[in-house]
Amino acid sequence: MLETVKLTKSFKDKKVVDEINLYLHAGESVGLLGPNGAGKSTTISMIASLIRPTSGDVKLDGKSTIQNPSDLRKVLGVVPQEIALYEELSAYENLKFFGKAYRVERERLEVRIQEVLDMVGLKDRQKELIKTFSGGMKRRINIAAALLHNPRILILDEPTVGIDPQSRNHILETVRELNETHGTTVLYTSHYMEEVEQLCNRVYIMDHGKIIATGSKEELMSILSSEDTIGVQLSKRSEAFTDKIKTLPDVLQVEQTKEGLRILAKKNHNLLSNLVHAAEKEGIQIMNYQVEIPSLEDVFLHLTGKTLRD
Amino acid sequence: MYPVFYAQFLKDKRKPLLILLFIGLSILATLIFGNSAWGSKTSVPIFASGPNSEEIEQKWVKLLNKDSDTEYVISEEKTAREQVREGKRDVAILLMEKDYRLITASDMPNIQLVEHEVHKVFTEEAQLQAITGSADTAELREEIDRYLENPPLTVQTKSVNGGELTSHNMGTQLLFGFTLFIAMFTIGFKVNGINADKVSGVWNRLNLSPVSKTNMYSGHLLYSFFIGFFQMAVVFLIFDYMMNYEIGPLHIILTIAAVFTLSSVSLAMLVAGFTKTPEKFNMVYPSVIPLIPIISGVYVPPGVMDNPVFTFIADLFPLGYALEAMMDTALFGAGWSEIMLPVSLMLLIAVIYMGIGINLGERERC
Ligand SMILES: Nc1ncnc2c1ncn2[C@@H]1O[C@H](COP(=O)(O)OP(=O)(O)OP(=O)(O)O)[C@@H](O)[C@H]1O
Ligand SMILES: [Mg+2]
Repeated sequence: MLETVKLTKSFKDKKVVDEINLYLHAGESVGLLGPNGAGKSTTISMIASLIRPTSGDVKLDGKSTIQNPSDLRKVLGVVPQEIALYEELSAYENLKFFGKAYRVERERLEVRIQEVLDMVGLKDRQKELIKTFSGGMKRRINIAAALLHNPRILILDEPTVGIDPQSRNHILETVRELNETHGTTVLYTSHYMEEVEQLCNRVYIMDHGKIIATGSKEELMSILSSEDTIGVQLSKRSEAFTDKIKTLPDVLQVEQTKEGLRILAKKNHNLLSNLVHAAEKEGIQIMNYQVEIPSLEDVFLHLTGKTLRD
Repeated sequence: MYPVFYAQFLKDKRKPLLILLFIGLSILATLIFGNSAWGSKTSVPIFASGPNSEEIEQKWVKLLNKDSDTEYVISEEKTAREQVREGKRDVAILLMEKDYRLITASDMPNIQLVEHEVHKVFTEEAQLQAITGSADTAELREEIDRYLENPPLTVQTKSVNGGELTSHNMGTQLLFGFTLFIAMFTIGFKVNGINADKVSGVWNRLNLSPVSKTNMYSGHLLYSFFIGFFQMAVVFLIFDYMMNYEIGPLHIILTIAAVFTLSSVSLAMLVAGFTKTPEKFNMVYPSVIPLIPIISGVYVPPGVMDNPVFTFIADLFPLGYALEAMMDTALFGAGWSEIMLPVSLMLLIAVIYMGIGINLGERERC
């Protein structure tokens, strides 16, 4: 439905976004991850037709939007990274202002304002001035303002930066509801890996202006390694048992821990039955057996050599 | 355009203090400076020294007081000098046969006015002496006066409401000057809303909406115009109706004010285009604007500011033109045709600065 083709942006001679290809299918929820300065906001600005790409294209249903962005703008809602609201006006006045700018018809707008306020859970605070709001409440109104014209595609640029857990949960729930029950297509940018893991079907990882990895969560994790790490909790310690495990097929490395063993094995191993067998022989009980799942955070670290939150 | 205009209005409606403060300030400044320095009669002590001091004093005191708003009083040399030294008087004058010295410890603009006046009287006398070839000019003076009483050609100069014309009225000049000057601040701070919106992201949001760029600019600029003009109009109306100042026919004065507002909006847009962020604007604009009335000669009588560099720079700003047009209207009853030139120049400034300002503002920030 929406795709970018070799999208590139240079400021002076510096390539900030470098031939990025990404696409959004209708109804999808896609994450865009990257460390500070990766070029996420610049990419979003280009997709939203706010800045002109140096080269490349943004297509909506196969049609280029660069020359004539009006079709795209009608169906697009953008939640900017900054709080783009008038601090001196109330939440209601802000929403009314942006609603009028979007030419939402008068009576429809009144209803819609209450709907979006309800969605972000600030209906009872609508008369208060934005500047009296907490960071989290501002962010929620910042989202509400992008929803007034009922966009089919919603792009959010780090909507949960530096806010309280309650507001954060509310925002995540709002986005999930929009995606799941209203069928809104979502592009979600964040520093927080767990948010993206929670919300998105598919993830793009970006660094230095380039997409360095893409796929579903599982696909991305499989990039990480061809090995699994397995934690085993045992009823007692035994050197003999440890040595025995080392000789089992697929096992690459065994390490003693406080509770038992940490085993590094080849992917798709068939370890469990062999392990149980060996334990029985030694008279040891297996208390717990767990394949440690790497997080996207680990994938990220592996790919970029950086943590997301620096 | 309407939503943008209305949102700016809402912000000010909630906080009208600044506008009210500026209106109050325009009035207060005019009252304080206009009245204390020029409105009421100031008196200046004069004295001569030497054997025929009395004669000299008597001769000049008549000539000096002849057509002057300032009162020249003969006093003791010692007291006069003391008063100046202690700051009780701004200036005293030492008279000589054919020359004079100003004794002063400050450089207030009203001293320039005194200097101007005294200088005129002395040169006139010197000219008359040169014609008669003697020190006794009384006869020639009389002759000239007689001649002027019954001249071959009469030009009647009267002020607009028929009263006697004063040669120059600093009070009125300051009224216009302060009002225009303070309005420039209001206008600037409103135009800076464009920069604020660009930085906050509100501008981008509107950009994504069906509101066109033209409408976003005109919403802001029209509001700045509206509020700047409103402020000036209120001040002029108060002076005209409540305080009975002679400010000339209101419809002409308000037209000049409107054109001045337009070019001030453009000037502010030019600065906004240069500075890009509201913080930089707030640094640059308030430090540049106060220089304009100084070089445009708002604080001194006309003709005093004659440095060619300054007058050239002053010509780049609308203040001088507006002041000139308003003074001509208020004091000399100038009509539409007389104010055409300054008004056209202000419109020209408006068009050029607006063009450059918006262009700079639209450049990608990189
Ligand atoms: N207008 C501009 N002029 C010059 N350089 C810019 C401009 N906008 C962004 N950049 C640079 O482009 C790079 C990418 O910026 P961008 O804002 O897209 O990163 P980001 O991934 O959104 O980072 P963050 O997580 O901090 O928001 C940065 O190095 C930034 O300094
Ligand atoms: Mg960003």
